[in-house]
Amino acid sequence: MSGRTHPIVVPPQDRIKGFEPYVPNLDDRTALYEATRCITCYEPPCKNACPTRINIPEFIHRIKSGNYYGAAKVIRESNVFGGECGYVCPVERLCEEKCVRNSLGEEPVAISLLQRFAYEKEKPKGLHKFALSKANNKRVAIVGAGPASLSAAYELARGGYNVTVCDSNKKPGGLMAYGILPWKAAWSVSESEIDNIIDYGVKLIQGKTITDGKALLNDYDAIFIGTGASKSVCMGIPGEELKGVCLAQEFLFDVAKYLKKEGKAPDLKGLRVAVVGGGDTATDASMAAVRLGAERVYIIYRRSLAEMPAVPYGRKQAKDEGVEFMLLTNPVKINGEKGAVQAIECVKMELGKPDASGRRSVTPIKGSEFKLDVDAVIIAIGQKPDDETLKSFGIKTEKGLIVADKENYATSVKGVFAAGDAVNGGETVVEAVAEGKKAAAAIDKYLRR
Amino acid sequence: MAIKPDLTTKFCGCELENPFLLSSAPPTCTGEMIQRAFKEGWGGAVTKTIKPDKTPVYDLKNRFGIMGLEDKQLVLFENIEEVSKRPVGTWIKEIKEIKKNFPDKLLIGSLMAEPKEEDWETLARTVSEAGVDMLELNLGCPHGMPERGMGAFCGQRPDLIEKLTKAAKKTSSVPVMVKLTPNVADIALMAKTAQDAGADATSAINTVLGLIGVDINTFEPKPTVDGKSTFGGMSGPAVKPIGMRCVAQIAQATNIPVSGIGGISTWKDAVEYLLIGAANVQVCTAVMWRGYRIVGDLVDGLANYLSDKGFKSVTEIQGKTLPKITAWSKLNKDYKVVASINKEKCIKCGVCFIDCNDAGYQAIKFEPNSNKAAEVDEEKCDACSLCTIACPVPGCISWKRVQ
Repeated sequence: MSGRTHPIVVPPQDRIKGFEPYVPNLDDRTALYEATRCITCYEPPCKNACPTRINIPEFIHRIKSGNYYGAAKVIRESNVFGGECGYVCPVERLCEEKCVRNSLGEEPVAISLLQRFAYEKEKPKGLHKFALSKANNKRVAIVGAGPASLSAAYELARGGYNVTVCDSNKKPGGLMAYGILPWKAAWSVSESEIDNIIDYGVKLIQGKTITDGKALLNDYDAIFIGTGASKSVCMGIPGEELKGVCLAQEFLFDVAKYLKKEGKAPDLKGLRVAVVGGGDTATDASMAAVRLGAERVYIIYRRSLAEMPAVPYGRKQAKDEGVEFMLLTNPVKINGEKGAVQAIECVKMELGKPDASGRRSVTPIKGSEFKLDVDAVIIAIGQKPDDETLKSFGIKTEKGLIVADKENYATSVKGVFAAGDAVNGGETVVEAVAEGKKAAAAIDKYLRR
Repeated sequence: MAIKPDLTTKFCGCELENPFLLSSAPPTCTGEMIQRAFKEGWGGAVTKTIKPDKTPVYDLKNRFGIMGLEDKQLVLFENIEEVSKRPVGTWIKEIKEIKKNFPDKLLIGSLMAEPKEEDWETLARTVSEAGVDMLELNLGCPHGMPERGMGAFCGQRPDLIEKLTKAAKKTSSVPVMVKLTPNVADIALMAKTAQDAGADATSAINTVLGLIGVDINTFEPKPTVDGKSTFGGMSGPAVKPIGMRCVAQIAQATNIPVSGIGGISTWKDAVEYLLIGAANVQVCTAVMWRGYRIVGDLVDGLANYLSDKGFKSVTEIQGKTLPKITAWSKLNKDYKVVASINKEKCIKCGVCFIDCNDAGYQAIKFEPNSNKAAEVDEEKCDACSLCTIACPVPGCISWKRVQ
């Protein structure tokens, strides 16, 4: 029995000076050590917990044997964004949570670190290429260039289809390029994997928003919509229109654009910033605010730590970087002066019985209202898809999300398929990749009839 | 308070304060080194092999290799080093000095010469008269020396074992021990030959001939000497089973004491050797890895073990297991058990299933991701024990007696 590898990360006071990754990768020696911790279970729960079903014990076995390129192949066979997922997957609630080492009272195998290691060894040799099927003349249009779309594009291109991806951003990648900031995963990781997909013959049209979905239907044999959930949901409390209030997705987008030299940085220097919400987007936004020079950053969340959806690792990172957590606290109003944010009014909450989501419900404590002086508010309570694009296809939506069949990903319009955040409301990159893959199989089946 | 067990033993009439000796090897290269080892607490030492001054000896540059686990947990060690380069005269001076400073430690002089009786007679006389307590005849070194008719060349030929043992016995003023090589078909025969020739004791094993590895990038064998290599002597933890087998065979075939050697790194290894009949143990590789200081734990661990088990003296455990080592044909064929998996302890890793399915009797039922523990089909289980030893959870798979 021996413990898990814990790479020495850059200390918080240093890493907040920039947006660079700060968790070092394993070297050959530490990777071998960590790989030997894998029991090599038979059809194990870690593999089952991975939405893309990466054969985890097999790739770790190959790291153990020194066959690094072979390890990377095992990953890429199941997940065309295996490198990116190695960096961004919330493994604490996926593969690593299910590692059988947990049931031995030990820390799980550092699967994500090993997956990154395999990717970093693969990159200099060239990402693995798999055989292409004979080209057929069928055309598929893909709307959006995030992980779900590109995963579907890859599968279809490999299957011999003529694939065109249309995306509104300047660069492809969706959330991977504009929502995930480089300290989590260097953009070069997803970029290399996107280049790899383009290499299979996928045509990419960037900077084009689809406004006439119906016209697209005439030109293509099938359409896949993977436009994601890039719009943040508002709280619906007074004061949200004030200057200094922004939505987390849009905020992260702006930061990404600034780092890509496509725009200006949100100016938070010396400001007191309140981030409202308890998900990964909230912790990401809080850490971005710290890096942009905010003086104090609060995360305001209405439930307690136990109900917080953000992964514990992200919470710890934020805390280490000085983010203050205000739990069981719910904003009721944003106060302004001369049109700008001045304070956020909150009420303390009390935990009750579990609600429909399984989390304990909360109710306000009468008379516990208080005011917190802040200069900016970032709202991170949820995402939704961009309505405009969806409307033009005339597909059925429910609560802003596309209604698609869980088995075959078909929407209400014949020949139009959808998956990823636009359907599930905002999940992980790896879930989007898995859904894109399955949707591509459904499209293939549909076009073969 | 527990009574401190007695660690002293007798060996060919000599008293040993503890059963831990340094074997004839790099840690006993000089008198100064041996004296430092004695200060650390070693019960005795066998000098690096002394040869006649006329016999040339070379030390190749780069002569060790290892097979290890991550973080250099040593598994196997290889050397292609030859015997001591130092003149007999130097050794005589140093033997006298060691015995003067450490009269109660057991000092054994290791000897090697060409298979000529007169050379052995001279060497045995000179070294024994210098004041060592015993002599050890190195008839086992498997690399370098055999190419020139020495070491294992002699130990692999019963006629030479007999001739050279007799020669040494003829002139030695102290008991003579013969160190045997495992690189033979029947080591018991070699030990009996030595006994019949008058040897007072045997020691086994010398290193096991092997090839530690090839550098798959340079295509050069290891350890590489200017691009080439040769077969070398294996030692370290992985040779322990070979050493134990040899010592048990010798102990069963002879009635002179045998000094156990081969892969002894901890007091537990020493206990095992003592249980199968070793009179004492000799250590080298573990010392090469971490120094003389390991003797502190060897002695202390052995004492604690003996006292925990209620033994008053180390002699009480010597040979205790030997009668239980018998021929395959004498093992009980009516003894029947089946594997039994503890449902609470099972972590559902499926390792037992895949092993039994691909290399056993397809006797384990397991449904991946069902959260159900693996289960043994007692009708199919042949009790081969593969699952029991492969299971990563201690005590999860046990044996159930069946009729």
